[in-house]
Amino acid sequence: MSIVVVTIALAAATLLILAVVMSTILGIANKSFHVPVDVRVEKVLAALPGANCGGCDYVGCSDYAEAIVLKGEDVTRCPVGGAAVSREVARIMGVEIRQAWPMRPVVHCAATLDKRKRRGDYEGERTCHAANIVSGVQGCVYGCLGLGDCVSVCEYDAIHVVDGLARVDYERCTGCGACVKACPRNIISRIPFKADRVLAVLCANKDFGKEVSDVCEVGCIGCKVCARVVSDLITIQDNLPVFDYGKYDPSQDLQAIVDKCPRESLVWIGKPTSRDIQETADETLSERVEADFKTTVDQTEWRG
Amino acid sequence: MEYFVNLLLIGVGAALIHNFVFYYFVGLCPFLGVSKRIDMAFGMGLAVTFVISIASTLSWLLTYYVLRPGAPVSSWIWSTLGGGSGEVNLTILSYLVYIFAIASSVQFVEMYVRKFFPPLYKSFGIFLPLITTNCAILFACLEIMKNVVGVEPAAMWGLDQALVLSLGGGVGFTIAIVIMAGIREELELSEIPEPMRGPGIVFIVAGILALAFMGFAGVDSALARLFKAGMS
Repeated sequence: MSIVVVTIALAAATLLILAVVMSTILGIANKSFHVPVDVRVEKVLAALPGANCGGCDYVGCSDYAEAIVLKGEDVTRCPVGGAAVSREVARIMGVEIRQAWPMRPVVHCAATLDKRKRRGDYEGERTCHAANIVSGVQGCVYGCLGLGDCVSVCEYDAIHVVDGLARVDYERCTGCGACVKACPRNIISRIPFKADRVLAVLCANKDFGKEVSDVCEVGCIGCKVCARVVSDLITIQDNLPVFDYGKYDPSQDLQAIVDKCPRESLVWIGKPTSRDIQETADETLSERVEADFKTTVDQTEWRG
Repeated sequence: MEYFVNLLLIGVGAALIHNFVFYYFVGLCPFLGVSKRIDMAFGMGLAVTFVISIASTLSWLLTYYVLRPGAPVSSWIWSTLGGGSGEVNLTILSYLVYIFAIASSVQFVEMYVRKFFPPLYKSFGIFLPLITTNCAILFACLEIMKNVVGVEPAAMWGLDQALVLSLGGGVGFTIAIVIMAGIREELELSEIPEPMRGPGIVFIVAGILALAFMGFAGVDSALARLFKAGMS
């Protein structure tokens, strides 16, 4: 037999044997290293919006999908998808949806720039995180700094700084909670919106009345009038009224305590009512001014 | 003693002096692709080291026993078939067989990691299967073949040398990618001229790093001299 024929035959045989051996090993490995994947995880993941915002308190949509399927997590946690996604996920999982109110952020400060006293000249980096370290930026150490850390993290363009105060656009807000995490002063929290408009305490100053009125024209002085009127709903903690939103009833008439409040700390927030819209229908809105600066990588705006 | 010095030189040579990434410019794709964060880069380095070790063990075995001219298996078959003069030379198959070995070991590693280290599996993403096409691994296999096929029997590499080369190469790759990741993490925070942003500055940094690694050139021969002087 010639050497050429043997070489060709051997080459073919080598590859064939290698293929058989390798595929056997891999086949065995595939069996013994088998990781069972629940098909429902993929289905749930497909139903979720894929925003990976973390509003459900999981790392991302895939993490939440796994938690739903494997740990039996509540299907209504996705703030972005809302009721439609909850229904879809509940259908896949074959569970009933529990009633869940949409959670929306509230900025617990009502003082626009002109209402805050003892403001210093802050010339540093234009972020709340930086300004929060420095003393003397403004008298109130609890209130909104108005430099827009919450604005820059919002994926939905739903929070803006107007007159130095962060305000949530509840028409756009999905309740993902990014702003809650971004605020260095922790004055943004999420509350259940049982109606389009709910009453909230827009002050975070825990000091006594005198100190508060020294630094702010509108902040809560802890007079407890509201708690006396509706004692079941409001308790006073650290000189601040705290709503028990579990007992909050949208049909209850709370305008009385808003009128009684000597300051401007109890404010209706949420979507505008139809009356508000009618009243302001003929007003024209000025173009929003966007800062025109280019950054390299991070969100830092440099000055000076 | 000389045996260990030889192994040490091969290992250090592969890791630093003839670093796969900075000297031979192989394995650049994961070097640029997964060097954004240090922890990911380190994981990638470890995975490559692991795969390179398995793949070069396999390829040494195949080269030594099957592929090279005069290999035990092929010459036994040749003589059984009553062959005369001449040797069966299967080195034409080398690329095929090596890619085969690499792909299988990557598959194996992927299954293993998926079963026992799910977070690592998640963070690798697409890059774990992409190790298959990482040329650093094929390069290591070919380096080993160069030292097995067509050399004097005395100078022929054994499995030990092959393993040390692949381990050294893997460690060198890990060093390179971790250094790169560290620099890139710093780059994220620095102000880079606009035309150089993105891949541009990364390539420049890689080039400067390669220049720095040229400083190791000649260290191997000096080391060899040193050990020789020490032994005698």
